[in-house]
Amino acid sequence: MKKYLKITPEGTKDFLFAECSAMEEVCGKIENVFTGRGFKRVITPFLEFYDVFTVPNSGITQESMFKSVDNKGRLLVARPDSTLPIARMVSTRLNNSTLPVRLYYKQAVYRNNPTLTGRRNELMQMGIELLGAKGIRADLEILTTAISAISSVADDYRIELGHAEVFDALSSELDIDEDFKERIRLSIESKNYSALNNLLDKLAPCKAVSAVRSLPSLFGGEEVFDKAKEICEGTKAADALKYLHKVYNSLAPFNLGDKLIIDLGLVQRNDYYTGIVFTGYINGIGDAVLSGGRYDNLLSVFDMPMGAAGFAIDTDAITIKTLSDANNDYSDNPDILVFAQDGHEIEAINYVNSLNKDGKKAQFSVLPTLEETKEFAHNRGISNVEVIG
Amino acid sequence: MNKLRIALTKGRLEKNTIELFEKIGYNCDEVKNKGRRLILPVGNDDFEVVLAKAADVITYVEHGVCDLGVVGKDTILENGSSFYELLDLGFGKCRFALATKKGYDFYGGYKTKTIATKYPNVTRAFFDEKNMDVRIIKIEGSVELAPLVGLADGIVDIVETGSTLKANGLEVIEWVTDISARLIANTASLKLRKKEIEELQNKLEAATK
Repeated sequence: MKKYLKITPEGTKDFLFAECSAMEEVCGKIENVFTGRGFKRVITPFLEFYDVFTVPNSGITQESMFKSVDNKGRLLVARPDSTLPIARMVSTRLNNSTLPVRLYYKQAVYRNNPTLTGRRNELMQMGIELLGAKGIRADLEILTTAISAISSVADDYRIELGHAEVFDALSSELDIDEDFKERIRLSIESKNYSALNNLLDKLAPCKAVSAVRSLPSLFGGEEVFDKAKEICEGTKAADALKYLHKVYNSLAPFNLGDKLIIDLGLVQRNDYYTGIVFTGYINGIGDAVLSGGRYDNLLSVFDMPMGAAGFAIDTDAITIKTLSDANNDYSDNPDILVFAQDGHEIEAINYVNSLNKDGKKAQFSVLPTLEETKEFAHNRGISNVEVIG
Repeated sequence: MNKLRIALTKGRLEKNTIELFEKIGYNCDEVKNKGRRLILPVGNDDFEVVLAKAADVITYVEHGVCDLGVVGKDTILENGSSFYELLDLGFGKCRFALATKKGYDFYGGYKTKTIATKYPNVTRAFFDEKNMDVRIIKIEGSVELAPLVGLADGIVDIVETGSTLKANGLEVIEWVTDISARLIANTASLKLRKKEIEELQNKLEAATK
């Protein structure tokens, strides 16, 4: 039988030295933003019951989860997401606490992606959840935390902002079933204009139909609101749009310019989100690195209805980019290698400790002879060898 | 910032796209005299094109190493997943069809039917929609052979003129879907380079009309 003892499963990888330093640096910067704003860390189990992720509208497909069974035959999964376990945890462990609660997490999620696509099946994520608060102040708190977090790790980024109710309200005015609505949603999500037009041509023309038709093209700066206002006037989407404009204007003092994009075609996981939704991109990374929004219906699934909003950041993608940016130095070499003559080992170790205390990178040589120590230093490119004794 | 990079499907779609670029006014001499090069500048160094096999166009765009791509809807349906589909370019038109031997009663009887195809995902989706269990066998070359030698009851394949089918005694019994070339975009690129991409998209859209 073939033994797979020297490779890691597809979509996973080892992290070595500089990769770990870069990851720690990226996570550290984001963590500073989170803790500075009063978010407290939680850790949820790697394994959860399958049922946690199959709540209505979770948006997580059966085939994307790694499954196993416990000793009673119950279905377990490697968490594919951190928000649902946190909702479970809050509804049981924190059901008596004073609201709102601010939580953050730093843990991997696991997704069983299609094979040979180069996608990662183990992804480190950091994110926050603000539970038990609704309204514009809560939304601004989440959004500005997202902006601070992404700008702490990148200069050239975009945050796009949308509202789940825009599509919900417009599609509720159409005479369509759930299946048809989902097909429309998918074509808006992928900005597939021709598919969307084909679908909408089957419906009787009305204000809502033409509004839905223009959703994927309604992205950009503040001018989007002018266009959208005209298109959505008199429809149920008008309120959501007005609210979104208010949020957008509130962010004006941040001077984000074209870094802040409005996208009314942002309809990902649209049954899960109930209010603002947003996504973050960083120049040089081909996929969204941040995504989140308001999900006020989720906690009622766990019998503790309350407002909730949050976001997750794909820190792995940012780590990879940080590493490839040439100006970052993650050399793991010590500046000084200290060799002890026989009988002077502890003296040398104390010397190394004192150097390290002064902020110098020093290392005690564990090789038995000075010759070998020098050869090692030469091979690794360590310029300074000091001898004690 | 880097130039926009566009992945083109090698062959006929590449030629059609180049014609479109020239119609808009971009100089494409480098692409026409490419030799063995795979990355080529277009116009006055306005952007560059990359030549790739159809399915790879999607892969390059999905991973964001190319901002845009030109690829057939057939490849999109078969390989799918996350990118923006911005424009129907109107060329490379053909259709997916279900075909059988002439006169064969495909939907008759209770026997589970066997389908030979180069496009297993398209085939699976088509019969899933009908709630019909079929056995799908992937074939790499001339799919028309499979029903003739008795491997399959029918085929799902791209049909342009239908002459190959006719010459082998096969006939289309149902059209699956229409196909044409599409302009696709990486999701992050569209957000990060909105102006450039929209400008090109609008020019292309105007030129296809």
